[in-house]
Amino acid sequence: MTRADWEKSYVSAESALRDAGVENADLLKLEEVRVRFMGRKGALTELLKSLKDLSIEDKRELGPKAQGLKASFDALIDARKAALEDAGDAAALEKDAIDLTLPAIRPPKGRLHPLTTTLHEIARTFQLMGYSWAEGPFVEDERHNFSALNIPEGHPARDSHDTFYLQGLPLLLRTHTSTVQIHTMESIRPPLRVVCPGRAFRHEQIDATHSAIFHQVEGLVVDENIGLADLKGHLQTLLQKLLGASTKTRFRPSYFPFTEPSTEVDVKCFFCPGTGCAACKHTGWIEILGAGVVNPAVFKAAGYDEQKWSGFAFGVGVERVAMLLHGVPDIRAFYTNDLKFLKQFDENLL
Amino acid sequence: MKISYNWLKEHLPLELSATELAGHLLKIGFEVAGHERLGPTFTGVVVGKVVSKEKHPNADKLSVCVVDDGATKRTVVCGAPNVDAGQTVAYARPGAVLPGGFKIEGRKLRGVESQGMICSRSELGLPKDVDGIWVMGEGPALGADVGALLGPADDILEVEVTTNRPDCLSHRGLARELAAYFHKELKPLGGGMVESAKLSFPVTVEDGEACPFYGGRLIEGVTVGESPAWLKTKLEAIGLRPINSVVDITNFVLHDIGQPLHAFDADKLAGGKIIIRRSKKGENLLALDHKTYDLPEGLLVIADGEKPVALAGVMGGEDSAVTTATKRIILEGAFFNPAEARKSSQKTRLRSDSSYRFERGTDPEAPRAAADRAAGLILQIAGGAAAKPVEVSSPFVTGTRIHTSADKLNTILGASFSSDEIVSVLKSIAKDLSGNASDLGFMPPAWRHDLKTANDLAEEVGRFLGYDNIPYRMAPMVTRTARLTPVETKSRRVRTRLAALGLWEAYNYDLVSEKTLAACRLTADGQPRVAQPLSEDWAVMRSSLLPGLLKNAQYNVSRGADTVRFFEIGKTYAIRDKEVDETWRVAGISLGPVLDARWQTARAPRASFYDGKAIVEDLLEGAGPIAWAKLSEPAAGKTPSDPLFHPTNSLRAVINGTPVATVGWLHPRVARAFDLEREGAIVFDANLDWLAGREIPPARYEDFSALPVSRRDLALVLDKATPYARLEAVIRDCLVPDLQSVLLFDVYEGKNLPEGKVSLAIRLTFGRFDRTLTDPEVAKAVETIVAALAKELGASLRG
Repeated sequence: MTRADWEKSYVSAESALRDAGVENADLLKLEEVRVRFMGRKGALTELLKSLKDLSIEDKRELGPKAQGLKASFDALIDARKAALEDAGDAAALEKDAIDLTLPAIRPPKGRLHPLTTTLHEIARTFQLMGYSWAEGPFVEDERHNFSALNIPEGHPARDSHDTFYLQGLPLLLRTHTSTVQIHTMESIRPPLRVVCPGRAFRHEQIDATHSAIFHQVEGLVVDENIGLADLKGHLQTLLQKLLGASTKTRFRPSYFPFTEPSTEVDVKCFFCPGTGCAACKHTGWIEILGAGVVNPAVFKAAGYDEQKWSGFAFGVGVERVAMLLHGVPDIRAFYTNDLKFLKQFDENLL
Repeated sequence: MKISYNWLKEHLPLELSATELAGHLLKIGFEVAGHERLGPTFTGVVVGKVVSKEKHPNADKLSVCVVDDGATKRTVVCGAPNVDAGQTVAYARPGAVLPGGFKIEGRKLRGVESQGMICSRSELGLPKDVDGIWVMGEGPALGADVGALLGPADDILEVEVTTNRPDCLSHRGLARELAAYFHKELKPLGGGMVESAKLSFPVTVEDGEACPFYGGRLIEGVTVGESPAWLKTKLEAIGLRPINSVVDITNFVLHDIGQPLHAFDADKLAGGKIIIRRSKKGENLLALDHKTYDLPEGLLVIADGEKPVALAGVMGGEDSAVTTATKRIILEGAFFNPAEARKSSQKTRLRSDSSYRFERGTDPEAPRAAADRAAGLILQIAGGAAAKPVEVSSPFVTGTRIHTSADKLNTILGASFSSDEIVSVLKSIAKDLSGNASDLGFMPPAWRHDLKTANDLAEEVGRFLGYDNIPYRMAPMVTRTARLTPVETKSRRVRTRLAALGLWEAYNYDLVSEKTLAACRLTADGQPRVAQPLSEDWAVMRSSLLPGLLKNAQYNVSRGADTVRFFEIGKTYAIRDKEVDETWRVAGISLGPVLDARWQTARAPRASFYDGKAIVEDLLEGAGPIAWAKLSEPAAGKTPSDPLFHPTNSLRAVINGTPVATVGWLHPRVARAFDLEREGAIVFDANLDWLAGREIPPARYEDFSALPVSRRDLALVLDKATPYARLEAVIRDCLVPDLQSVLLFDVYEGKNLPEGKVSLAIRLTFGRFDRTLTDPEVAKAVETIVAALAKELGASLRG
């Protein structure tokens, strides 16, 4: 092939390509065009192949030209292909359209009871401070519930512990989780730190703020040289974890037979700016727990050397904390198990 | 206890406002639960005289009066029908402020200028007596301030006194506490009197331990009547009803200095004598509350020659009570052993201000002074002549000296108060403090029964120097690694697992009614019971968690819930060898659509037995291989919940020979009792204690094949009575080495199948670790299985 022939073929290929209608081709037509130009006998294939018949100089000059034509051919085909795919996608997408506003389809959902999460929240803070979990029986004898806790027969403090006694058995339902203090000291040697969460029972009429069955988290620390100051530190840590770092606490003297000195702990009302509201009975403070330095009489009853060991104990009412945290107005709601109530605690997974 | 601030100040001069006082009381351990202000809540109201009264020219119901307030005469328009010339009235001058902040100013009423207002009692915030204005009667000087005439204002504080502080259950007692706290002196107690009568009567104390001190004083020639105003005001201020002078005086002394006293009508005492003895069988007492109390044998009573006339320390008898007819009285001042008073009060369920104090412990040294004070007041108010008291006393140990040191007290508090501060606090409480800061000997005053140990003294120091001044400290030593109990560890796993399976956690009471148990076909026989239940609903300790959950389901279904899925973790109870066994269990209920997809699937799958079976399988995962047994099989054993389950459509999971959990339908009668017969409820119940005892080893890696598997689906026709488990067993017994799993994916009966036949579609999966299986190999394995099924079960391939 002469250079002139080649150039003629080039021009005709170029114009054939222009007229091939790639711009409007569908996929089928596009393949046809590809074969026409780049197939084994395709116009472009031939053109490239016939370069070998030309002189070195011509090859050097026309080679790039031929390559340029092929590149523009490829670009043309690719561009059309891409356009066709885009159009195809658009059609598919349009066909796929579903109503995204239809409600979610969910597997059955379940959650934990708010008392479980509140109890664990309280216990967890103490566990981080090295307290182990301890439990004791719900059915108790007089000794563990009263006399070992320095509440002997005839003690007026028994008045505040309305007790369920069992029929025909010298047993009762524990009126507080403090019984676990005694069980713990009977089974492990000091030093120790335990939390004892669980149920307690009081023989009293149920109303919006009283439940005859309720939960407490008891705590007991026994070590050498433990004082009221340690109690203040630990309980302040709990309350600030539970209710927020800026929670203000107030420790005021009180009386429990099994602790001496004793204290009741209040937190600054978080429903009003200290001006008084129904939640704080217009005092600006909310009573949240009772505590104290372990009365040596309790150590003696449990068989610990009261000269060597000292400690502190506390009890937190779980329902009370849950009511405050979640604004639940009626304690009975925790035991009715109305799904409309339980479903409000959607975050309740351990 | 109600405390009148004015009364308190008679014992201790205080400059604080009542609100400030309440703040201090709280800091030393006395919560003030209520604060009520008494007295006038108005100003600028004076005594006036209505000089003249004329009809208002423009209004029928109004009068135009001229009121003289001693200084000026002013015109006042008044609407009260009872106003008249000559009356002494409460006149609010212009500028006066009435209760509620209502300001009085001169203004025109129907054209007549009115300068002020003639007030009714209710307009002054006082109890109403008649309709219309308050006509005061002659006496008060014109222009005198009406507020001042009503007596000084007072603050009544409701002070909560903890059971260890009976010494503070009176005005002087609380004043004494405050005097120590503020380092002030109590005012001396007034009183004193002349003993002019030489009279006596015999007093016998049969039990000196129960009654270590008894004093009785005869006063004769009294005239019992109404108490003077000061006394009535005091009693009324703290909510007591005045009765007569003598009774009021004993009540006054009780609330003044805390010593309960009693006055008998001496002429009503048979035999003219007093015996402190134990009650005898069959005795009773008509008490001052007009009720007759049968006295159990052995209570401490005050008796005359014939019968009990008072339950010692609790309440006197009506028959010997002082009335306005009484001429001679015996005034009793005693110290009763707290345990005796408490016993009497509890056995008779009779409580009084006296028993409240005696059972907490009164001051053993107070009766004489208190009786003297009362006798002096009686002579002053009711007249008469008093004799010397007859006293019988027995030794009674009060406090013992407490030996401690300032360092020890600081250690108990974790504080660093100075020795001087500590000594000063202790001195303010006890006059008798020996030694020095490093060796203190503290003798508690007679009224402080609560002070026995160094810890008690530490509390005193802490209270008076302030709990606020004790630092926050973190006991630094971590004694051992914190651990959970096995039950708690397991409970957490179970809780999260069941919640993830779509069950809501429920909390139910441990006490149930017999009725509920009966509805569940469970028996209350042999269950622990409470002796005095709050109500029938709280009689029996539960033997199963399911009754509570059934009630929860019924409650929610009746309120429109269509899916109810609950679980509960709790204890169940049983009596064994006179002890109560407590077992942790986990139980649950599931009913209604499992998947909330109604808009997509018209009939979403509902909870079925198999759904419950899955929950239990998940619950038991890792605990060991489950063998399922029907409840009637011996291997299933028995559990307290069994009667509640459907007898045939329920299964027990048995692990290593131990029955662990039950799952099944409700017994139809139980379903009916809880209105769940149409709901198809599934219930389960498992022994959490047993599960907690199973160590679940950490998961171990097992190699798994990366090669493709071969699947073959078979549709088999069998007798309907053949349990699916048999089919699996037969396939397993073929011991085909490369069979990996059997999956049941369809159960069909009905059209195109002979009567009594069922078609089961199963998918067999074959595979090896080292290579892929060839078609002939798989075909051979399938052939073996099909042959075995045909032989053992008469199964045929469905065409």
